[in-house]
Amino acid sequence: MNSKNRTLRSLIGDQRRTQRARLRLAALAAALVSGASVMLLGLSGWFITGAALAGAGGLAVVQGFNYLLPAATIRMLAIVRTGSRYAERVSSHAAALKALAQLRPLLFARLAAAPLRRTFSLSSGEASARMIQDVDAVQTLFVRLSGPWGAGAGTVAAVGLTLLAGPLPALVLAGGIAVTAVGGLLIGRIVVDPAGRRVQIAMGLFKDRLSALQAAAPELRAYGLETWAADQVGTTARTLDRRKRDDAVAGGWIPVFQAMVLAVTVTGVIMASVTAPLPLVALAALASVTGLEAAAALTAGLRQNGAAQEALQRLGEVLDDTVTTAGHRSARAMIGDAVGLRSAGLDMAPPFRLGIVGPSGSGKTRLIETLMSLRPADDDVFSLGGLPLALADQHEVRARFAYASQDVRLLAGSIADNLRLADPKATDADLWGALQDACLADRVRALSGGLDAVLGENGDRLSGGERRRLGLARAYLRDAPWLVLDEPTEGLDRETEGRVLDGMVRRLLLRRQGLIMVSHRAAPTALCDRVIDLSVGAAGEAAVEVLGVRVAA
Amino acid sequence: MTADALSTPPPGLWLKAASRPYRRLMGLSAALVVADSIPAIGFAAGLGLAIGALERSVAEALPWLVLAGASLLARGLLGQAATLASAKAAAAVKGEVRQGIVADLFAGRRPAAAALGAATEAVETLDGYVARFAPVRMAATISPMLVIAACALASPMVAGILLLTLIPFAVGMALAGGAAAAESRRQFQALNRLSGLFLDRIRALPTLLSFQAEARTTREIARAADELENRTGRVLKVAFVSSAILEFFSALSVALVAVYCGFNLLRILPFPVPETLDLGRAFFVLALAPEVYAPMRRLAAGYHEKQAAEAATPAMASPEAVRPVIRPHARKWSSAPDLDFRSVTIRYDDGTTALADFDLHVPAGSIVALVGASGSGKSSLLHLLLGLAPLSAGTVRIGALNLTHLDSFAGAVGWASQSPIVAPGTLFDNIALARPAATATEVQTAAAQAGLHLGLERILDERGGGLSGGERRRLGLARAMLSPSPLLLLDEPTANLDLAAEIAMLAVIRTAAKGRTTLIATHSEAVIALADHVVRL
Repeated sequence: MNSKNRTLRSLIGDQRRTQRARLRLAALAAALVSGASVMLLGLSGWFITGAALAGAGGLAVVQGFNYLLPAATIRMLAIVRTGSRYAERVSSHAAALKALAQLRPLLFARLAAAPLRRTFSLSSGEASARMIQDVDAVQTLFVRLSGPWGAGAGTVAAVGLTLLAGPLPALVLAGGIAVTAVGGLLIGRIVVDPAGRRVQIAMGLFKDRLSALQAAAPELRAYGLETWAADQVGTTARTLDRRKRDDAVAGGWIPVFQAMVLAVTVTGVIMASVTAPLPLVALAALASVTGLEAAAALTAGLRQNGAAQEALQRLGEVLDDTVTTAGHRSARAMIGDAVGLRSAGLDMAPPFRLGIVGPSGSGKTRLIETLMSLRPADDDVFSLGGLPLALADQHEVRARFAYASQDVRLLAGSIADNLRLADPKATDADLWGALQDACLADRVRALSGGLDAVLGENGDRLSGGERRRLGLARAYLRDAPWLVLDEPTEGLDRETEGRVLDGMVRRLLLRRQGLIMVSHRAAPTALCDRVIDLSVGAAGEAAVEVLGVRVAA
Repeated sequence: MTADALSTPPPGLWLKAASRPYRRLMGLSAALVVADSIPAIGFAAGLGLAIGALERSVAEALPWLVLAGASLLARGLLGQAATLASAKAAAAVKGEVRQGIVADLFAGRRPAAAALGAATEAVETLDGYVARFAPVRMAATISPMLVIAACALASPMVAGILLLTLIPFAVGMALAGGAAAAESRRQFQALNRLSGLFLDRIRALPTLLSFQAEARTTREIARAADELENRTGRVLKVAFVSSAILEFFSALSVALVAVYCGFNLLRILPFPVPETLDLGRAFFVLALAPEVYAPMRRLAAGYHEKQAAEAATPAMASPEAVRPVIRPHARKWSSAPDLDFRSVTIRYDDGTTALADFDLHVPAGSIVALVGASGSGKSSLLHLLLGLAPLSAGTVRIGALNLTHLDSFAGAVGWASQSPIVAPGTLFDNIALARPAATATEVQTAAAQAGLHLGLERILDERGGGLSGGERRRLGLARAMLSPSPLLLLDEPTANLDLAAEIAMLAVIRTAAKGRTTLIATHSEAVIALADHVVRL
């Protein structure tokens, strides 16, 4: 509609151009369907009436009545209508499906390149689920592209046939079709749209209440409030059901209105054409019935358009985000892999090992994710390869780090899929080696399927500690100058912690990697050349205190 | 998977059973949809007889025109009545199914995430099934017969023609429908897989970015999308063939009726027929012919509603048969009890083990901190005492009472978490939820002890009504203090609080724990320092 949905509209425009042949075929077929329907019924009416008159007129008149041509035309129209309907459906759906097959990957690529704020807000919660529904809603939009052609052809055919009975009935019919279309749209806008919005609001309230109460299930149970909670949910659910019913009834007024218009118009067409020969009256009557039905189908389609338009709006917001340009501004290249943390007076290069400690909430994770360009860099805290981070190319920054986060996010897929995320070319032996160093090889061997064992959504077949170690193995597989670990041994017993740390040191030496590690435990930080404490000031400020310095090897 | 297959009935049967209590309402909406044929017949009769009468005079045609118009109006209004009845039936069925799911959810009989999805998205598919598919299914078998019977009054031959076209039509539908159903189930699964993949990868986007796997993942999604497109294309072709069959026979029958009527009226049929038509009757059957097929076309259009509902059935079907109903017993201990866990294992229905072979003794009146990474079973242990997690093996004793897998101590414990529930109402009402029989003084005392120095008449809404994070947690602790139970469970009571707020909260926790046996699941060093015993999970 406006410049807001530019990306999506241009994508849809591209797809329309790519699928032009199919969409034209669909539009042509839709027009043929409506035209054939109108003519089939109109011609049939004319034929029967003409035949009746001829039959009453006696043998001579019958022989003068050319029945072969109309009879053949009627049969032909029946076949044309069937074939066209099939062609319309197949080609419009093929176009929609092909467009959708392009849309999903493109949407994903755009999201991956969107500003990080957007990426993070999508990675949790309902926004992502809603996006799936929105993409599906766009499909209907494509399928309906041929709708107006069908309605238009139906109108033209019906008005054209009615014209045979005289200009007045044609005028009456054209007026009736206009009233049906405009009135349907108006009812849609004034009555149906608000009802639909009220359903959305009630649905939101219901979902909110349900998830809030669900989150408090233990408390409800402790005080015996389950029935009370079910009643609370029930109240919002009943409101939702009532709104849905109101919406259905509101939508139902459109066909009631259109039936009324149909009644008036058909009566009007017949009355207006009484001076014409009777077969033409019959033709006009039946043509106007089918013509009005074709026009009514248009408003039925438009009614659901609202949902598709809203979906377009939301997808458009995502797609129109300015693509991050930080990476492309810099003309200078990075030299080397040295990381500078100005406030702590640090300038380190692999195989340096840095430990970061501080109470929860002091910004440890934020600090390292900023360094890896996984969060927007607000100020000049870091330098990398001799460049201030803000000027560095995002891809080059990320290429320098292998990261195992505290809250490991696993992909739905096999263990091997998850590990090969770090290195698509890794052999099975490489994978086992990484698992061995993360002290997870025995556990994976015990799973049925081993490396090919399929994890559920976000790895829910594994315990918290196991997921963390799988994340660690995944980071080991990535060939980057820096290994970045966030609380790698949290939740492990002392003995396992020792083995995990041994494996880690083995890896660091093997790869000649540097280490940047957040931990609140003593054993991991003891391995570091230097430990900084964030408890004194906010992340990256000058108040960062240098705790201890070991002599670098 | 196998457990699901064993415990849930076939989707079709389940849907029938779920809608059985409202079969009268559904019958009404189906009857209204069937009744739609009557004004359809009225319209065709009015139109046909009007054209027939026009042969003689306009005045004679007028009443028939009025009949045609009135029938159209009646049709519109009947349709609206059917919409209302179907919507009511759908609301009733949805309400009942949803109520069952919600009750299961709060009683811990279903995994929370699955139950949330079932109560929202899955239940909504019943809307299409009850309101749009079920009434049309009944109409599809009855309405064509009604219309053909009406045709027979005017022309038995035409009725015969319509019946004859109906047979190959039904056979074609059944053949194409059967093939399409199997194909479309597979396609539905492929679509779900792609949607799932897309969703999963969007949620994992920060991880993918850190491994620079954007381009690879985009290709992966493109491949899956292409595959889905091919598969869907094939399915749709089958589906469109079946609708083309519908279309063909409906068009063919109109053509056949028209040609037959025309030749009959011309009296030049090449074979003898027992009837001679007049214009009015011929026009009537011609206008009525498309109505024979309309209900079946509507059924074909509504078929995906049925498939969506059937696909959602496993999520909605009640797992009651698997897990026994847990009925809370109101138990009381006169003084703080000791707790004894022996070889306790918690294994959920989906096979995940949250805790295995766990032993712990908690002396009466002590404070125990449970620590460990998220997912290590801290919360499961607390949920076990409330009957929200299953006791798969071992024994749990609280004071002199045993917890069995059939029972829990729910209703007899105090509970406070990081996000206590807020009910719409006053702060006073919110505290009193823990013990509705409490006197005003007792509620005031609990509030004061929890450090809630706000007006108790303050109105809160369900989003917390302006309470800060700290105040909200004090509300939870005020409830725990009001509750008469000497057993107190705290789940992350200081998570996400700043240092000052956390220290202030420690004092309140100490007050609440006085005279009670207290279990605290926590990450906080300060809370751990307050405990008598620390248990690492």
